Amino acid sequence: MSITTTGNLGPMILQSLAPAMLYVPTPSMNYITVCDKMSMPPNGGTTARFMRPRALTPPTVQLGNSGIDPPAQVPQRDIIDAQMAFFGTGCIINEQVILQDQEGVLAWVSERLAVAMRQAEDLILRDYIVSAASIINAGGGSNGFNPTNLGMSDFSLVATTLDTNNAYKFMSGIEGMDRFGTGPVRSAYFMLSSTELQSDFDSLVGSGFLNQWNYPTNASALPAEYGSAYNIRVLTSSEAPVARNAAINASGVSADVYYNTVVGKQAITHINQDGYSMNLIYRDPYYSGMLAQNATLAVKFAQAQAITQDTAIRNIICTRNSALGV
Amino acid sequence: MTEYSRQAKGRFVSTGGAKVINLPFQPDYVEFINYTASASGSDNGVPFAYWDSLMGQGVAVINRFQAANQLTTDTVDTLGITTFSAGQLLQFGPTLTVTDVSKAAAASVTTSGAHGLTSGDVVILEGLFETSTTGMPQINGIPFTVTVTGSTTFTIPWNTSQSNYTTISGAATGTPRAKKVLYPYLYFPGQTFISAITTGTTTTIDTTDAHNFVVGQEVAFRIPSQWGTVQLNSLPNTLTPGSPVYGYVIAVTDYNTVVVNIDSSAYTAFNSNQTVASVPGLSYAQIVAVGDVNTGGVQISSTSVLYPPPYTMPIGTTRVNTINGPAIQGAFVNNTSQGFVIGSGVAEGDASAILVGAAEDVIYWRAYLHDMSIPS
Repeated sequence: MSITTTGNLGPMILQSLAPAMLYVPTPSMNYITVCDKMSMPPNGGTTARFMRPRALTPPTVQLGNSGIDPPAQVPQRDIIDAQMAFFGTGCIINEQVILQDQEGVLAWVSERLAVAMRQAEDLILRDYIVSAASIINAGGGSNGFNPTNLGMSDFSLVATTLDTNNAYKFMSGIEGMDRFGTGPVRSAYFMLSSTELQSDFDSLVGSGFLNQWNYPTNASALPAEYGSAYNIRVLTSSEAPVARNAAINASGVSADVYYNTVVGKQAITHINQDGYSMNLIYRDPYYSGMLAQNATLAVKFAQAQAITQDTAIRNIICTRNSALGV
Repeated sequence: MTEYSRQAKGRFVSTGGAKVINLPFQPDYVEFINYTASASGSDNGVPFAYWDSLMGQGVAVINRFQAANQLTTDTVDTLGITTFSAGQLLQFGPTLTVTDVSKAAAASVTTSGAHGLTSGDVVILEGLFETSTTGMPQINGIPFTVTVTGSTTFTIPWNTSQSNYTTISGAATGTPRAKKVLYPYLYFPGQTFISAITTGTTTTIDTTDAHNFVVGQEVAFRIPSQWGTVQLNSLPNTLTPGSPVYGYVIAVTDYNTVVVNIDSSAYTAFNSNQTVASVPGLSYAQIVAVGDVNTGGVQISSTSVLYPPPYTMPIGTTRVNTINGPAIQGAFVNNTSQGFVIGSGVAEGDASAILVGAAEDVIYWRAYLHDMSIPS
């Protein structure tokens, strides 16, 4: 008996390309979420300028009966400048790739370029904040490092600091509901934190940290929101800044140091330049040499950033208490 | 050569230290001519050098004079030519083992091997525990500008001669070490740690690394209570509750000293003599850029372009231009960059033959990024 098998009659084409692309692991881009937006006008020079009036002193001293006017106050303002910078990247794609590859190369490269641009916007904001916002070392934890791991008192301290500075909160509170395991959520600032600290947040649940799934309603929760503590709602991302092995304790053990940005409204402004942001540029092979062999796909954008309310932002830096998976 | 390759050339006068060349690309091939060394033909001179990315980072192939006007070939194996992409923060160089930190007005740090640092580089120190309760952990994690005093020694701008600091020796329990911060000033001006405050009718601030402030910079202070001079803090403001109090920089003395127009005569003295016991959770005194009152850009000078870019001042009073266009002085600036570095490494066969040449040597360089590179 002769059985025909794939050993002697194999398929002529061995592979079949799945119709859908696999997803690309992409971090939550939280930094741009908390930014105010401003667009510099065309022909507006190199530098965006912000003006913030200062409060006048409240006239708390009575006039008395002298009939003499009090001395005038001199209004003051603060000026904040930020220089525009330009960014871009692209790919040169030979026409043979476009002609012969089975997948839509131009489509998915365009998509990746767009994501790269958005991630660049976020990373620039992240690093700018690390450079420009003042730092509080966490001291509420117990792991013996400086900074320590985050304790509930650290949330309280930084929220109190921003409240004292009259920062504006992003979110109004969520009223408690008659649902098991839930609790009310306070009006809140945002903390931009690392996914690597989520285990530490979980360990604070009994002390007052409320996981996002324990909110009375998740209607106002952001996709990256992990939970809340006191007047802070925590957004996590794998791209949050971390300095690896940047702290060592008295026993010679090292730990990673995380930068957690606690921010109120209008604390950071993301500035683009009119007509120059988010440009996706396709250039046909026609423009590349006498044989017109290569197409180009590129993105370019203009971006500046400024801390526009320095009193409404703090980086609270901490180490981690729990182990990290791999 | 097609339209996609990149070529650049230029000239600089060597300082004897590593030279950073900013470009709009990272080259895969670099060569240079040391005109001064070529003209003199003196022993130890390096008139020509070459580097290809396929050789790896930090190396170079050189010609050097093994005697007057007698050329030979050699290599530089470390601190040669390196490309860089300064686009993201919190990147560090190799870990340096620290064997000693002295008690001094400018503490001296000794490393177990050659540190490879240049004055103006920024390091953080870690694990400065002599025992579990003594040492200098008060300054762990603070970025410090180094002044190089030898191949294994450098000083940092911090007064460790105070009573609460104990000398770090080879017997330290905390595995003391240092790391170079690779790109400390990607965005400036920003926040900087304070090492000293001199109170008076004006207030003089010393910082641990470059402040990159200009005259006219508006600044705020964050002084935790144990550091003393809390009256400088922006809030609370008892006269106008809720309104921040700011100062303005009226003089820039050097890279880490500015004078601010705040009369601090009656303020509490600054105290950097923190205890070891305070360390877990100890926060540091900081000065923060808020804004500026300037209306113009950097002024033209004899060697500058017509409209000079913003600059950093990593050490001393030497300005290092950014690759930016002109901006209002004191503006928040993006200082990311890329390019290559000609290092101060020495020839494998002659430790006196320095790749980047001697101070005042005139060097002409070329850099390429090729369309096609075919590794074997």
